[in-house]
Amino acid sequence: MCGIVGCIGRGDGTVDVLMDGLRSLEYRGYDSAGIALGPSMGVLRKSGELDALTEVVDANRPSGTYGIGHTRWSTHGPPTDSNAHPHTDENGRVAVVHNGIIENYTELKAELQETGITFTSDTDTEVVPHLIAQALKAGEDPETAFHNTVDRLEGSYAIAAIIDGSETIYAARQGSPLVVGVGDGCTYLASDVPAFVEHTRDVVFLEDGHRVVATTDGYTVLDEHREPVAVDVETVSYTAEATGKSGYDHYMLKEIHEQPTALRQCFSGRSDALAGTVTLEEIDSIPQPDAVQFVACGTSYHAALYGAAVLREMGIPADAYLASEYALSPPPLSLGTLVVGITQSGETADTLAALRDANSRGVSTLALTNTVNSTAARECDHAVYIRAGPEIGVAATKTFSSQLVGCNLLAEELVDGPRDLRALIESLRNLPDDVQSILDASTAETVAEEYGNSDAYFFIGRGTNVAVALEGALKCKEISYEHAEGFPAGELKHGPLALVTPETPVFAVVTGDDERAQKTLGNIKEVQARGAPVIAVTDGQSEAAEIADETLLIPETDDRAAPILANVQLQLFSYHLADALGRPIDKPRNLAKSVTVE
Amino acid sequence: MSASSSSTANRPTSAVVLAAGEGIRLRPLTANRPKPMLPAGTRPILEHVLNALIDAGVDDIHLVVGYQANRVRSHFGSTYRSVPITYHTQDNQLGSGHALLQAREGPSDRFLLVNGDQIIDHRIVEAVSTAHTDTATLAVVEGPEAVDYGAVHLDGDTITELIEQPAGGEFRLFNAGVYAFTQEIFEVLETLSVERGELPLTDAIQLLIDEEEHAVGGVRTDHFWMDATHPWDLLSLSRELLARGWVDAQPTDTDIYVDESAHVHPDATLVGPVVLDSDVVIEAGAVVGPYAAIGASTTIGSGSVLSDVVIDTDTAIGPNTTATELVVGQGSEIGAALTVSGGPADVILDEEVYSNVDLGGVIADRVDVGGSATLEPGALIGPKATIGAGVVVRGRISGGSEVVR
Repeated sequence: MCGIVGCIGRGDGTVDVLMDGLRSLEYRGYDSAGIALGPSMGVLRKSGELDALTEVVDANRPSGTYGIGHTRWSTHGPPTDSNAHPHTDENGRVAVVHNGIIENYTELKAELQETGITFTSDTDTEVVPHLIAQALKAGEDPETAFHNTVDRLEGSYAIAAIIDGSETIYAARQGSPLVVGVGDGCTYLASDVPAFVEHTRDVVFLEDGHRVVATTDGYTVLDEHREPVAVDVETVSYTAEATGKSGYDHYMLKEIHEQPTALRQCFSGRSDALAGTVTLEEIDSIPQPDAVQFVACGTSYHAALYGAAVLREMGIPADAYLASEYALSPPPLSLGTLVVGITQSGETADTLAALRDANSRGVSTLALTNTVNSTAARECDHAVYIRAGPEIGVAATKTFSSQLVGCNLLAEELVDGPRDLRALIESLRNLPDDVQSILDASTAETVAEEYGNSDAYFFIGRGTNVAVALEGALKCKEISYEHAEGFPAGELKHGPLALVTPETPVFAVVTGDDERAQKTLGNIKEVQARGAPVIAVTDGQSEAAEIADETLLIPETDDRAAPILANVQLQLFSYHLADALGRPIDKPRNLAKSVTVE
Repeated sequence: MSASSSSTANRPTSAVVLAAGEGIRLRPLTANRPKPMLPAGTRPILEHVLNALIDAGVDDIHLVVGYQANRVRSHFGSTYRSVPITYHTQDNQLGSGHALLQAREGPSDRFLLVNGDQIIDHRIVEAVSTAHTDTATLAVVEGPEAVDYGAVHLDGDTITELIEQPAGGEFRLFNAGVYAFTQEIFEVLETLSVERGELPLTDAIQLLIDEEEHAVGGVRTDHFWMDATHPWDLLSLSRELLARGWVDAQPTDTDIYVDESAHVHPDATLVGPVVLDSDVVIEAGAVVGPYAAIGASTTIGSGSVLSDVVIDTDTAIGPNTTATELVVGQGSEIGAALTVSGGPADVILDEEVYSNVDLGGVIADRVDVGGSATLEPGALIGPKATIGAGVVVRGRISGGSEVVR
């Protein structure tokens, strides 16, 4: 995990560039942070959020003309000062920042310790500066020492290093994201483009195995055999300011309110309402798959559950798998299967591993992602973009809504045969205003006030609303830290009902008035009989609103679109619950936006 | 070269935009959004205002938001046309002076001030910013509207008097609401207090006029300036913008603007000037225009005949509708064969009667209208109202109500 930055060629502005870059990468982790500067080889690092480092930097006023920086999300060792990056060798001649996991670090560490080297941190990263220092001691030049060290590493990593006496930044990518920003007389390195987009929009997206040697004269990209490779410089379109909070208290609330725009962008130009057809140009040529396996994590997994349910309704065998399970316990698949990875960032390590596993077994892969040129988009055979715009809040909101629309577009494009999609298209076109009407009139804040002191929160639904129930509970856990669980409504009585008391409100997602809705009404009565207050999230078609204690109303729509609307009410509930509890909503403890370790 | 670059170098490049007010006289259209977010053509009024500022060289925008502020924030985000936007919140709408004070921490030097609900040619902004020397400079326009906007006395290029409520016809010059200020305006505003629930900016300007050491500059301009005060003004505003081609789309013909994601049935007819925003659908046999502005993702049903209309986003107009001089808000569902035959009408707004108004009718946001309904001239239907099939609507229907035949 973590975010790394580097820059050379900016002279006295180096410290500001590094600190601003880290600020925009905080979404990748915020347990601790640090910077290392050349030529002084000075290192400043601090546990806690970036503000803690900012204080240290302001107090020490370090200087340097090139440097590297890091913001950490702990994997090996707790978030302490000594575990904060950059890590150095014993003499402070080498400083290294790293994102990812070095899988063979225990044997490397043991080997280094045998030669008498003392480790000062619990991290896997610390082996890297010691290895480089050892190579330097053996008489190797800095660049050779860096390459020889990287050759020995196993696992996934993006690494940047500076070495005393060499006005150069060395970097390597293997399995974790790393991009180069090409400036005027200067070069930037970062885990993600926002870190330097205010300085340059010309970007080189590195591939696994690539290494970078950047000096004041420019940069060279090398392959793992240390041969120079030609790379494309792409110009990215988004601006640094597009990621500001626009006056909202939190990114999460801003992104909840951006959903009408995000949904409009996702659907725009992809349907013909007159002909009743949907077209995803990116995958126009894909034949109908025999089966579809979705792989995803977290919120994206809930979108995958929804997508699989939609495809099954259309007669295509489809399942959703947790990506972290898929790669290590792969289900059987036939050659006609399409494996779809859903990942907002396109960098989620577990999802990438699952997609790579599928790829190695010879089936087609498709990335449904928000991030153009992300690793998932580049590695898969096909990519479909959800066009939600940048999402900074750690708790995913607008990207989930757009993923659900993306699943509908995907399903309609993949499945052959003439169908009249006018009703579906109408409901998807209406989504922006339907969501806006919820944002204009939601009473979720009042519900959050009324039930804010409960023991736990449960969320139930059936069919595609199971995904909404699970997502509602996840959102609640992530940002409020309150105990929350989501269940398929029919499962309650098979165990979880034992948890239900008058102090555990139950959110029942009931849309339409079919058998699923009717059976969910039965489940509502079941929990009411145990004294639990019930909040119905409903379009008013069934009797849910009459039975429930509270109602969060959504507009009536097609049953494919209803889960998207119901989810917006639950986003607002979790947001207001967390806000009333004073939680750091955009930076929930222990979490990071895109998880790039397995 | 050197002369012009030095004059542009001193021009203010920050601007404060007042966008906090509801616009009470535009009810029921402002139920969910402030007046600056109402449609002018297919875009919010405020988008045109920001265009004028940016076209005049402004590179730092401060928006004062209040009523339904989230609508403004979520529409523009943190940048517009790559110009950064900073938001300042006015919690209580206590007048334009109070609104400006909320942006005290905004611009660090000289700045422009405009209203977020008045459409202006960018050359008005340029004129004010070029002429600005002392504490305050404002744009002066000639016209009969002085009664509504407050008249000014101009002596050369100096404002000598502000007259808030001139007698009709007496004054011809009025304040266009486009200003340039130095930071001193904040100090003057802070000496004033909110009285009778209001702190108007004009009080501060009057104070500057009365003081010996400051001159308040005035710049005469005859460039385009337009305001929407009443719902029917949205129709004339759109007419003006369409006639000028101020629409955010490429013309497919000289005065027919169709976004590339819109779908127009080959058997439908577009009569310019007309603008269709993204993902609009025009079904077979419909005749749309002249003077029709159709917002994003709105559908016009087959066989409908619409002219002189502003239909906002995400609305569906049923087949065989005939409408003229009609304004429809967002997310409304209109059944088949609605008839709106246009003004003149007598309209009562805020207990005031307006006679002979060119208005067929107003349908606010998320209204549900059944088949074969009719709007009598000047009918106003509030948000989320439900109108049954065959109903003839007269006068005002309040929001959320249900009308059946």
